[in-house]
Amino acid sequence: MRSILTIILNDLKIFFSQRANLPGLLIIPVLLTLVIGWSLGQIGGGGPTRLRVDLIDLDQTSMSAKLIEDLRSANDAIVLCPLDNDAEDFCRLREEPLQLERAIERARTGRTSALIVIPAGFAAALEEFEIFSVDYYSLSDPMQPGPVLQSLNAVLQRASTASMTTGVAAALLTNLTAAFELPPLETETLDGFLGALYLRSQEMLTEQPAPVRFRVADAESASEDGSMNGFNQSAPGMGSLYVMFTVLGGMAVLLRERSQWTLQRLMALPLSRAQILGAKIGVYFSLGMIQYFIVFAVGAALGMDFGSSPAALLAVMAAFVLCITALTFALAPWIKSEGQARGLVLLLSLSLAPLGGAWWPLEIVPEFMQTLGHLSPVAWAMDGFHDLIWYNGGFIDVLPEIGVLISASVVLFAIGIRRFKYE
Amino acid sequence: MQLMVEARNLRKTYKRPDGSTIEAVKGVDLEIRQGEIFSLLGPNGAGKTTTISMISGLVEPTGGDATIGGYSITKEPMAAKRLMGFVPQEIALYPELSARQNLAFFGRMYGLGGKELSRRVDELLEFVDLSDRQNDRIDTFSGGMKRRINLAAGLLNSPPLIYMDEPTVGIDPQSRRRILDTVKLLREEQGMTVLYTTHLMEEAQELSDRVGIMDHGEIIAIGTQTELTQQVGEEDRLEFIIGAQEFEESLAEGIQQETAGVTRILYNPPEQVSDDSSESTPSRLTVFAKRGRTALPQLIQNLDAAGVEIQSVAVREPDLEAVFLALTGRALRD
Repeated sequence: MRSILTIILNDLKIFFSQRANLPGLLIIPVLLTLVIGWSLGQIGGGGPTRLRVDLIDLDQTSMSAKLIEDLRSANDAIVLCPLDNDAEDFCRLREEPLQLERAIERARTGRTSALIVIPAGFAAALEEFEIFSVDYYSLSDPMQPGPVLQSLNAVLQRASTASMTTGVAAALLTNLTAAFELPPLETETLDGFLGALYLRSQEMLTEQPAPVRFRVADAESASEDGSMNGFNQSAPGMGSLYVMFTVLGGMAVLLRERSQWTLQRLMALPLSRAQILGAKIGVYFSLGMIQYFIVFAVGAALGMDFGSSPAALLAVMAAFVLCITALTFALAPWIKSEGQARGLVLLLSLSLAPLGGAWWPLEIVPEFMQTLGHLSPVAWAMDGFHDLIWYNGGFIDVLPEIGVLISASVVLFAIGIRRFKYE
Repeated sequence: MQLMVEARNLRKTYKRPDGSTIEAVKGVDLEIRQGEIFSLLGPNGAGKTTTISMISGLVEPTGGDATIGGYSITKEPMAAKRLMGFVPQEIALYPELSARQNLAFFGRMYGLGGKELSRRVDELLEFVDLSDRQNDRIDTFSGGMKRRINLAAGLLNSPPLIYMDEPTVGIDPQSRRRILDTVKLLREEQGMTVLYTTHLMEEAQELSDRVGIMDHGEIIAIGTQTELTQQVGEEDRLEFIIGAQEFEESLAEGIQQETAGVTRILYNPPEQVSDDSSESTPSRLTVFAKRGRTALPQLIQNLDAAGVEIQSVAVREPDLEAVFLALTGRALRD
């Protein structure tokens, strides 16, 4: 182990002693993180495009169903869980039932933007024009209502107004029949009339243009300065891009080590091949992690969110760096010259990074591009970062992404280690 | 005397990109005794580096095995490698690090540390006479200085055995002399066993207790210099550089019969120096003769009579070059 650490430290010393490496490690990624972060923040593209909202309907009536439908149409960014969950389990429910307790915990830890609970008796209260309340749980500041609360308020206001209309109509009919001494209306006829009136009122209110247009850029997770959101996308994105540049650059270094015979000299020392290979893997893994730390440190200085699970964040970073390290070792045996290595680094980094959503969120591209993007390890890393940073996910939420990255690493290492050229 | 290195039937086969194979080393048997300087002599491409790479554990043999101090390099590589130092033909140093940093790093790899490491690095810098440049980066050194640090890096663990693979390639005569003297010192003062590979006959002659001559992946002769030269008898070698002309075998036979003492004549026609060069080596005629100096006047006369244009002539007494020539029909430099 001591030998492995000595080799790692020596190689890192050599890397940092070369001034030519510093712009690629420090200056350019930091500048790009700043520029892209600010740009995305200004155009509102730095945050989630879908809002995960848990909804529990304890009423289960046509009126509560109407409320839910209105909520959907009020803001199409809202994904109501579990009702609107997709095949990729955007709601992160993992096929477990959504009980009230669990939903409250999810809202409390920020994994969902909010929890809405429609109480039992909601429809009856509306019909009787009685006071009712819908429970709303969220970490967001109630003094600065975000799009979910605004949407909920809008649809509830509509329901209340419709309810008020029918209440007023019922009172008017009662007063009129009494004043003109008319026979009272049959209950059935009255209920039918009031029901139709409620629905018509709802329709009319719905057809009115919405007073507020909800945009995801104004999500409750946004801080006062809109640009901050941009770093939640740009720091992981640029970090991942430059991890690729730095770690894949190892292909050229491994080639150089063979041509200058320092690798062969290590082979002649009392070290096993596993120790040498382990040390070389450790070098590029360390460089990748250093690269992430540099970019994330810049993000942290500018108020980037890191979610609530640093261990999970570290695990996603480590899994991605390991995958890129494995890719480096899988490709290195085929490289014939440093020029070829440099070309391949550029090609891979500049194709896999945007394809995987390092420059912009994959959620804004067409579905087929999202599918295609997941051929890139960057997409899996970015999915993990989004889960943690945007949805406050925990370790268990990013296990699928970590699993994919580790599996890819195993396959690539199997190729690379078998073909690694020591001579 | 106890054996330090013993190789049995060492073989190495490489696969070419087209799927065919090339046998770089074809079953080498070798015994190197403790405390001796043993040279592997042969032209470039003879298989010397592959052999030394297999014995040092750098390249896995396709077949056979070698033991270092009794430890098998394939079965007990760690124990075997602890007994040896390795000085490769290339400058196997980190050019971005200083001489001291390079030596300290490789010293740590041998398990040295703290004051012991610092003392050993100081000793070796002193030994190769580069203490004053210890903090300079390797890429600022001359070729000779790099070679000396390369040598020092192979001595860090004070090994009882050191491999040196063509350690004088590409350096000036002064640096070369210094390295050859260092090799002798290592044996004389520290009792080290040295396995030295070279394609230069003069180096092998100057340094070696015993020499193994390699060609086309095989050891074709092995022994002390006296034993080897005896293999070609006591014939002198008369080397003629002649004009570019056809030299038929019948002419050689005629001259051999007509000139007293001549036993054999070899003709090497001119060859292009390289594919992209128009230059070519001169035509060379090598005549083996007992008492060569006595036979020379008659030989010149006969060649002149046969119309051979003589450009220069040199008389050489039996040496390793003659052995190689006698065994392969080619000069070492070919």
